[in-house]
Order: sequence, then structure tokens, then C-alpha cells
Amino acid sequence: MALFELGDVSIEVDEDGFMQEPENWNEAVAAALGSTEGVDDLTDDHWKVVNYLRDYYLQFGVAPMIRKLCKQTGFQLKEIYELFPSGPAKGACKVAGLPKPTGCV
Amino acid sequence: MANQAKTHKIKMMEEQLAKKLNRQVVGSLVGCVHCGMCDESCHYVLAFPDDHKMTPSYKADQVRKLFKANHDWTGSVFPWWVGADKVPLSDDDLETLKDIAFGTCTNCRRCTLSCPMGVDTATLNRIMRGLLSHVGVMPEGVRVVSKDQWEIGNQMGVLKEDYIDTIEWMSEELEEDLGHAEATIPMEKKGAKIMYCINPREVKYDPRTIKEAALIFWAAGEDWTMPDEGWDNTNFGLFSGDDGLGGACAKREYEKARELGVDKIVISECGHGFRSTRFEGVNWAGESEPVPMESSVMTMLNYVREGKIKVDPTKNPEKMTFHDSCNNARSGGFFEEPRELLNLVAMDFQEMYPNRAEGFCCTGGGGAMSMSEYTPRRLESAKIKADQIRATGAKVVVTSCHNCVDGLNDLIKHYKLDCEVKQLVNLVANALVLDEVEKPVEEVAVPEEITVKPVAEAEPLAGRKILVVDDEEDVRTFLITVFEDAGAEVISAADGNEAIAMAREHLPDLISLDLSMPGKDGVETFVELRSTAETEEIPVCVVTGHPEFRQVIYDRPVPPPEGYLGKPVDEDKLVAYASHILEHRNEKAN
Repeated sequence: MALFELGDVSIEVDEDGFMQEPENWNEAVAAALGSTEGVDDLTDDHWKVVNYLRDYYLQFGVAPMIRKLCKQTGFQLKEIYELFPSGPAKGACKVAGLPKPTGCV
Repeated sequence: MANQAKTHKIKMMEEQLAKKLNRQVVGSLVGCVHCGMCDESCHYVLAFPDDHKMTPSYKADQVRKLFKANHDWTGSVFPWWVGADKVPLSDDDLETLKDIAFGTCTNCRRCTLSCPMGVDTATLNRIMRGLLSHVGVMPEGVRVVSKDQWEIGNQMGVLKEDYIDTIEWMSEELEEDLGHAEATIPMEKKGAKIMYCINPREVKYDPRTIKEAALIFWAAGEDWTMPDEGWDNTNFGLFSGDDGLGGACAKREYEKARELGVDKIVISECGHGFRSTRFEGVNWAGESEPVPMESSVMTMLNYVREGKIKVDPTKNPEKMTFHDSCNNARSGGFFEEPRELLNLVAMDFQEMYPNRAEGFCCTGGGGAMSMSEYTPRRLESAKIKADQIRATGAKVVVTSCHNCVDGLNDLIKHYKLDCEVKQLVNLVANALVLDEVEKPVEEVAVPEEITVKPVAEAEPLAGRKILVVDDEEDVRTFLITVFEDAGAEVISAADGNEAIAMAREHLPDLISLDLSMPGKDGVETFVELRSTAETEEIPVCVVTGHPEFRQVIYDRPVPPPEGYLGKPVDEDKLVAYASHILEHRNEKAN
């Protein structure tokens, strides 16, 4: 467990930098986490992905399949990688305040 | 004395240990003399040199103490000397053991190589993990994944309909990209030759590798399929030490392969998946006649070797280095094949040192990627690997393991290296030349004999001059005949000195070189050819009865040979190899 601080944001994260208390997530947190994953500016497209991930996680308790993410947001796979250079698991899920995905990632 | 105070869990662990003892394990338990020779082989020791708890022997001693106390006479006679009086007693001790077994060792097996007694410390560490898992003590990340593998059948809990939906998605995209109705991903095709198994991260988060593999299979005209179950090649049984889970995971693949009636299972580029499915799983699952299995690296390499796919290495021009997955290389003996493929599909390959069996772990092995609690220590131990990657100056680190991809990406970010990670499937797909590939005919069974490219239909080596070097007359005659039948003009030499003289005089287009020869052997001859201005550019295909010499020749400080074939040589393969090398040469020259 570690404390992640950037500007006014101060949150508990795990050793890989993922949020520990997803209920404390807000837009400022998302922006701060984005800066650690090569996303300096959260555009509308970023928010579309982040909001979908967050809603899905709150509903089902896991990260969605990339298939669902692309289908629901209308983005192509390569666009997701353009938006989040470290990918959907380590990049987008982290920004959306999800805990670290399980398994070999 | 101590027995009185032992908790139930510890007694269970001791009982379990008794079941794990066999000759190899006992050899490793009694063989250690604590000489310290393994210390510097461990990336944890290098990062924390003053912490004796990082040494491989300290980690292995945790199991050793239990063994000495319960099974070895030394533990009864002088327990204080062999640590038998310091066995764990309370359940709190188990938490400490958990941190040692899961948090200070990636089971990479590098220390084993430096042990004069042949102690396999990683095996002992895995046994400790297994004893702990047996009583429910393991990191949360390992527990969650193990549960998903037991219950849902894959490590990321991907449901069957989601898996199929994703494969269909990639299939549709491939069809669209290529504009061929036949370019699809076959699902559950009975009697296909190949069943392709993947790492769940491919389907859950990054299916681009599935599409790339499908593209390569399609281009090669392969008769392949993906299964709807038993598709997960990964295995947390290897990481948790639970042989039961290990066997259950592997068995799903084996049984599916039998149900579909495929010739072989091809395992996508996953190091621990390859080791677990190809080697360990067979024992864990008690398979007596396992289905043949191979890494997709071998499959792709054979496609290029046999001319089934055409690749253009200029598509991958960046400077690249190769990182050996510990499970593929050190534990699987898979050293040269990925390098051979890499050299065929990329322009600029720079070896990283040390490499092959001596390579360091990406530090994400042994399931470490799923245990965040140990990430800071893991990243600190990754310094040695980061330094080695930086020293190559490469812009791309190529590896044949999904776990290494993530481990390397983490250390690249942490140490701010200027490079990215790719897998061979990415490079092969990128280098594919499609316009000259014939469309495969679906649903038509192709007889085995004609899947190998026919040799005699044309003279593929017409106009080429080939120098055959071999000290055995009958081998020389065979090689000469095969090359001549394929249209080449052939000259020959029976030893190294003669070969060098003839190479200088005739400047052949290709040299076929034996390694084991009296006098100047093939390795010396090769180095001399490569170090001499007139002959350095002549491609060399090694043809040898000693595959173990590969390492020797690839370790020379000169560019590696363009091909490497083991005897006995199949004549179709020889011609396919030779024509491929010559075409490849022309492409590089252009």
C-alpha cells in the first residue's frame, strides 16, 4: 500500500499504482492517474472509455473484455491504444480507478 | 519437543512434503553445501547484496529445514547444525515463508546453473509455494487467478460466450483487412491439423496477437482451429506449486486436442504456458501419450524455412535485441529457433549479454506480475536487466513470452529506457509479404506428402554456385546431388583450409558447412570466413550432426550463420532452406 500524491490529489494505491478505494475516484484523480500512464490531457474520447470502464466495474466488479469496451464505445482496438499508450489493462483501467486486473498483466 | 507446539497447518505441510520427495528433490535438499557460488547469479542478490535472505540457499533452506527435521538422519543427530531445530511452528511463520517463497524468487532457475552440486533451488522454492498453497496461504493475486483457473477454466475468468465473441470479432476484422472470405478464424474444426492455444490476456485485453497469428496461419495455408474450451495455455499451478491445478489446466488442452482430433497443439508465445503445457503438464496430468505440442515460434519458423510464407525483413528495420524467457530458454532449451526467426524477419539484431541459458529473468516471472505487494522489490531487482537492455542500444526488445512483455514494460517504464517490447508474432505478421501467397483452399484435405514444397518442379537453385564443406564423403556426395538436382553448380571441400581457399577463389553464393571436421573445424572455418573481407558476405548454412554446437557458433563475435540444419538432412528442407537464404540475401542487399 502506498500513497499517491499529485497536486491536490492524495489517494491510496497499490504497489503498481492502482487505486485501493475506487469509491474515492473523481475526475481530478483520473487526470492525476492519467499523467502516470502517458495520458497528459483527458479528452472527450478518453472520458468515453473511462466512464464505460467505471460503470462496468461498478456494476459487475471486474474489468470488461476489450471486445465489450470497443463495441460499446465504438472505438477500434488501435484507437484504444492511441488513447492509452500502456493499453486497456494497465492504462485505461488505472485511470478509471479500477484495481489492478488479475493474472498475467 | 517442538512437535507439541506445531499448528495443524504446519503438520499438514510436513505431511505434504513427504509426498513431494523423489530422487531429484532429495538430491537438491541434501546436496547444498552453502558454498555461496549461486549468490551472484540471482537478480535479487545483485539488487540487495547485503541481505542474506536474498540468497538462493537461504530461500531453499526454508524447505530444507522441514526436510531435515522430518526425514533426514542429520536432523536427529545434530538438529542445531542443519537448522532442523528452527522449523516453523506458528501460523505467523507461514506469512514470513509466503513472503520468501513468492516475494523474493521468480523461480527463474538461473542459480541452478552455477551450482557445483546441481541443486535446483527453484524446484525447492516451488515446493515451498506448494506446501503453503496446500494450507491456503498464498498471495491474493495468486489465489484469485487459481480460483478462476479451477472454476472457469482460464486465468482471467473469461466466459465462453465472451471468448467466442472476441475470436469472431478478430475473425471478421481479418476478413475485412484482407478482403478474402476465406480469411477467418476456424472455431472447433474437427480434424484440423493444429489447435492453437493462447494466453487469456490476448483475448481479454489485447487480441491483436490473435489476429496476427490468424493472418500468419492463413498466409501459410494452414489447416488450423481454435478450440471453444481448453484454449488457455497458461497455468498458475506452475506458480502456486499446486500440481493438481497444474494437471487440471494442462489436461483441458490435451483432452480438447483429442476431442478435435488435431495433429498437434500450437502454444502461443507464452513462456510459462509453453513449459507447463509442453513439459510439466504431461507429468502433472499423468499423460502417457500426450498429443504433440510445439511453440508457435517453431511453427512460424518452419513456415519461413519451408517457403510457406514469405517475409520481408526490411519491414522491421529498427535495432532489436532478444530477451530469453526463463521458461522457454533455461527450462525449455529453446535458444536458437527464436533467434533464427528474428534474423529472418528483422534487419538489425543485437545480442544481449548474458543470454540464452544464462539470461536474467525479466523479473516478472513466477507469477510475479499478479502479486502487486512485491512490485517495488521486483523493480529494484530489475536493475541488472535494465542495464543489459540499455547496453544493447536496441529500440525494440523482442521476447517470446507474454509475461516477459509485461515484466519488461514495467522495467522500461521504471528505468526510463527508450525502447518498446514486441513479440515474434508481431514481427512476423508485420514482415509478411502477401501478394505472392496463394490463397489456401478451405475444406479440401491436403495430403501430407504435398504440404512440403515440391523440389523438382523447377530448379529453385538454378544459376547459383554452392560450396559444400564436409569431411565425410557420403554426406558430401548426398549434399552435392541434392543441390545439383535443384539446379545449382556445386563445388566441394573436405576440410576447413580447403574450404577457405575455395571460398576465396570461387566466391560461391552459399556455403553449406559441416562443424565437426578434423584439423580446422567448422567453427574456426566459419569465423575465418566471416572475418575475411572477400568472404564475409557469403551466406553460410551450417549442416551438422551436433546441434549442441549451435551455442558455440552463435556466441562467436561475428554475424551468426544464415541457417542451421541438423543431420540427417531432409532434402526438401535443405533446398527450401538454401533458396530461402539466397532470396533473403537478395532482399537485404536491395
